[in-house]
Amino acid sequence: MLEMKNVRKVFRTDMVETCALDEFSLTVDQGEFVTITGPSGCGKTTFLNIAGLLETHTSGQYLLDGVDVSQLRDYARAKLRNQKIGFIFQSFNLMPDLNLFDNIDVPLRYRGMKSAERKERVDKALDSVGLFARKKHVPAQLSGGQQQRVAIARALVGEPLFLLADEPTGNLDSNTAKGVMALLEEINDSGTTIIMVTHDQSLAEQSKRNIHILDGRISNNTEQTQQKAAAAA
Amino acid sequence: MFLYYLRLSALSYRRNPILSSLMVMAVAIGVGAYMVIFTLNFVMGGDPIPQKSDQLFHVQLDSGNPNTQDDPPKQLTYLDATALIQANSAYRETATSKISGILEPEGDGIRPFSIVGRGAFADFFPMFNTPFLYGDGWDQSADRDLQQVAVLTKELNERLFGGADSTGETVRLHGNNFQIVGVLDDWAPVPKFYDINNGAFDGSEEIFIPWNLIIPLDFPRNGNTNCWKTPEAGPDGFLNSECVWIQYWVELRSGDDEAEYLQFLNNYAAQQKEFGRFPREMNNALFNVEEWLMKEEVLPNETKILSALAAMLLAVCLLNTIGLLLSKFLGKSGEIGVRQALGAHKGSLFLQHVIEAGFIGLLGGILGLAIAAAGLEGVKVLLGDNLMITDWIHLNPTVVAITLVLAVLATIFAGFYPIWRACSINPAIHLKTQ
Amino acid sequence: MEIGPILRALSRNKLGVILISLQIAFTMTVMVNAVFIINERSKLMARPSGLDEPNTFYLSSTGFGDQFNSQVTERDDLELLRNTPGVIDATPTNAIPISGSGSSDGLRIENDPTLPATPAAVYFTDEHSVNTMNLTLIAGENFSASDMTYQSSNERRYYRKAIVTLALAEKLFPEEGLAAVGKSFYRDQAPVQIVGIVERLQAPWPNSFFVEQAMLVPLNFTDATSTYLIRTEPGQRDRLMVEIEETLAGNNPDRIIRGLKSLQETREESYRLDSSMATILLVVIVTLVFITSMGIVGLAVFGINRRRKQIGTRRALGATQLQILRYFMLENFFVSGVGVSIGAVLTIAFSIALSSLFEMPTMDWYYTPIGMLLLIAIGQIAVLGPSARAAQIQPAIATRSI
Ligand SMILES: Nc1ncnc2c1ncn2[C@@H]1O[C@H](COP(=O)(O)OP(=O)(O)OP(=O)(O)O)[C@@H](O)[C@H]1O
Ligand SMILES: [Mg+2]
Repeated sequence: MLEMKNVRKVFRTDMVETCALDEFSLTVDQGEFVTITGPSGCGKTTFLNIAGLLETHTSGQYLLDGVDVSQLRDYARAKLRNQKIGFIFQSFNLMPDLNLFDNIDVPLRYRGMKSAERKERVDKALDSVGLFARKKHVPAQLSGGQQQRVAIARALVGEPLFLLADEPTGNLDSNTAKGVMALLEEINDSGTTIIMVTHDQSLAEQSKRNIHILDGRISNNTEQTQQKAAAAA
Repeated sequence: MFLYYLRLSALSYRRNPILSSLMVMAVAIGVGAYMVIFTLNFVMGGDPIPQKSDQLFHVQLDSGNPNTQDDPPKQLTYLDATALIQANSAYRETATSKISGILEPEGDGIRPFSIVGRGAFADFFPMFNTPFLYGDGWDQSADRDLQQVAVLTKELNERLFGGADSTGETVRLHGNNFQIVGVLDDWAPVPKFYDINNGAFDGSEEIFIPWNLIIPLDFPRNGNTNCWKTPEAGPDGFLNSECVWIQYWVELRSGDDEAEYLQFLNNYAAQQKEFGRFPREMNNALFNVEEWLMKEEVLPNETKILSALAAMLLAVCLLNTIGLLLSKFLGKSGEIGVRQALGAHKGSLFLQHVIEAGFIGLLGGILGLAIAAAGLEGVKVLLGDNLMITDWIHLNPTVVAITLVLAVLATIFAGFYPIWRACSINPAIHLKTQ
Repeated sequence: MEIGPILRALSRNKLGVILISLQIAFTMTVMVNAVFIINERSKLMARPSGLDEPNTFYLSSTGFGDQFNSQVTERDDLELLRNTPGVIDATPTNAIPISGSGSSDGLRIENDPTLPATPAAVYFTDEHSVNTMNLTLIAGENFSASDMTYQSSNERRYYRKAIVTLALAEKLFPEEGLAAVGKSFYRDQAPVQIVGIVERLQAPWPNSFFVEQAMLVPLNFTDATSTYLIRTEPGQRDRLMVEIEETLAGNNPDRIIRGLKSLQETREESYRLDSSMATILLVVIVTLVFITSMGIVGLAVFGINRRRKQIGTRRALGATQLQILRYFMLENFFVSGVGVSIGAVLTIAFSIALSSLFEMPTMDWYYTPIGMLLLIAIGQIAVLGPSARAAQIQPAIATRSI
């Protein structure tokens, strides 16, 4: 479903060339919950950006749902993002001027969906994160954890193939973070693939699969099904 | 502290050069354009003789047409003007009219040329505080004895005598010799209050002679003449007619004098009614300089319309500045939060931003002066010297001061809301959502 | 489309909306009224005087000294002028159309001075005036040389014949049309017969309410000053102005020639205030549009910079570049919409105020809607650049921490 082969990403600025990803090869299948860890600056966000079509890679091959995205134009990439990918950001990135309903509505609008269907879906998404009653509120009226739940609802409302999350719990206290994680696991259980960058070692250990990046390369790729099962037991 | 804030202002300007320049430009254009119109209004609508504008009165006798209902005529007939002069019942008084004539310079150097002059009485000069470069006006005996004397303007003296003291010399005007008794210094009241019938913004006439000579020497009249009744035939027909062509001014020294003089005019008119003249209801009038200019609406409609438009232009520029300042100061809320966290209290932050707004206003004011100066030059070119004398169109110190103060105050005023908004941001909120 | 969210987002930023929309409203008020004033002035300026303006000029001769004989001089001058090659015709006159100074008379159709009089400009001139002024005689006939009378300008004036403009004839005899020829009116309690009607001839005062009411009268003043109106063949005017001034100034030492001017210069001078006003207003309009669009650009750039992360997020959520562009264009459209709506009210109020305070005609209805459209268009153009830049914002910005 997501397949990278020898993907390389070089940032060129006036002074320096930074190689943020190098010989990066990875396959993620339907239904997986992958955590990405690694020291700061190792390339985690860069990987997520490329995976989410927010950035183009310099060389290598990237197949998304069987489609080679390297040659796609900006327009097609936007459409793919809109239909197949859901994003969750560390700092939530809600539109401060829009109420919760309108915030969650944003990706559906870009899809050109009919208003009745949009309303149904947004209400459902709001309900699923337990914030239906506050749909007329604006983000500033919510706590951090609530804001992140809205962001999750926004990522889910388009029913994407997979969710990309960049440190979704980084701005939250540990209790709230647990709530958000539980929500993500629930989503994963219902079949949505999740790729999540995190600094939190314990979260990484909980996940089915962990990828550790060092200096733009994968240094460790572990399936942790057993550990998790053991931990649960 | 003030200097420190001023330096911060300069720094802040450099941090946002485009936005800041945009603000300076908006203030400059708004204030500059406003000052152009303000200058025009200020001078055109100003008091041309402030020292005594409440002592000089314009005389109107209602000798008008009984079949119409308009105001009394703005000028007097020959009969009435001579009668008032005879009566001699004001502190100072003059009848005055515009004339023209051919001036024949001595020698062959300059060809004869036609000039515009003014007939006046001896009192004209002291009444209107005319400045003299050489000599003085004539005295009342010259009026009585029909002496052929003249007062020249500075320009005419320049042209005829190269600017030298010409008192005692003679000039030949309209076939008669006149002895020069005085030369005026620059004198061109704006508006030309003493004769608004013939161009309220025209320059002064070039030569002044005793008014009593106009008729005996048969000078051509050059001003507005209005007759509601055709003159009788014969050489004296015009003099005895109801044609008005003479302006009449009196200087009175107190409010009592004013009432008394009006009473005198009414008595005179009543007496004339007995001779079958003054067919209308009694409606004589005395207006002092300011009242007269106001009543006659010498300020052209154009400048009034432009004033309104300029005020709106200024409003647009200020709204623009408010918007940009709001953007700028809200954009600085990070810095403000940090300063607050470092212990700056609201008052000092407020002061800092007032000074920053004032700084932008001052820059705008200075640039606005340049714009106003350029705009006034442009207006001068547009109007041209044929339409009116435009020498008075320039930035005077009052206008310069008003411009700078207006720019600074307007910008600070425009900045109040943005400053208040920026300073009342709770630093905690700011730290929470980057 | 995302009209709803844009409006709801705007309603959370009322002050910003009010600031720009007031700016747009004032700009529109000034612009529309200024354009209207300019148009009115140019309509005034475009009215024809009736003369062959490009090929006509005039000058005055003023005699002095005891030797001077004005009647002989005038007769000789006119003969010389009419025989100068390139001159079509010349005529003496007391006043020049459009110049701003002249004589007027009150005319009545009955001999009763208590009745209201019809004002008319009077040109004291001779039988060459119709040809010199290039007037079209549409009824009756011209004067003949024997109609001429001569007197001093200070005397009571006598004349028995007049050629009137059609406008004056219609004013005096409303029902008659061209049949007014042959009829008489009274001036100064004496009858004057209309011998001819010309299509058009303006009075000397362009701003007077009776500018189209004028008449020619076969009377000439014997004063020392004579003014000659001279019409030349096309293209000869400038040469003849110089030559004729020289000839006349040289052939008689007892007079001076002054006031040499073409009718075109006179028109320019008479309408100087109007044309200056038009120029000033044009400058005001350009300045305002410039300031306002710079304001729109400035605020748009600022708003976009403030919302960079939001725009990146939108891109990450699947907005195409076109959708981002459209978002900002639409946002500006709504703000402009508020602005031009307030502007329409202000514009109409201001124009009503102008017309009641300054006796100006009321504005035609279509000015306001055209102004609204124009300002919306200006806003859209101003915001196009910043919006295009917003569309270039990289989606990856969404995952950056700041
Ligand atoms: N736009 C860019 N221009 C230049 N260099 C960049 C750019 N974006 C990222 N980099 C560089 O690429 C490298 C990888 O950055 P990336 O943001 O992927 O790190 P990260 O693993 O997400 O770190 P962190 O855990 O701190 O978020 C870093 O060295 C960074 O400086
Ligand atoms: Mg990162």
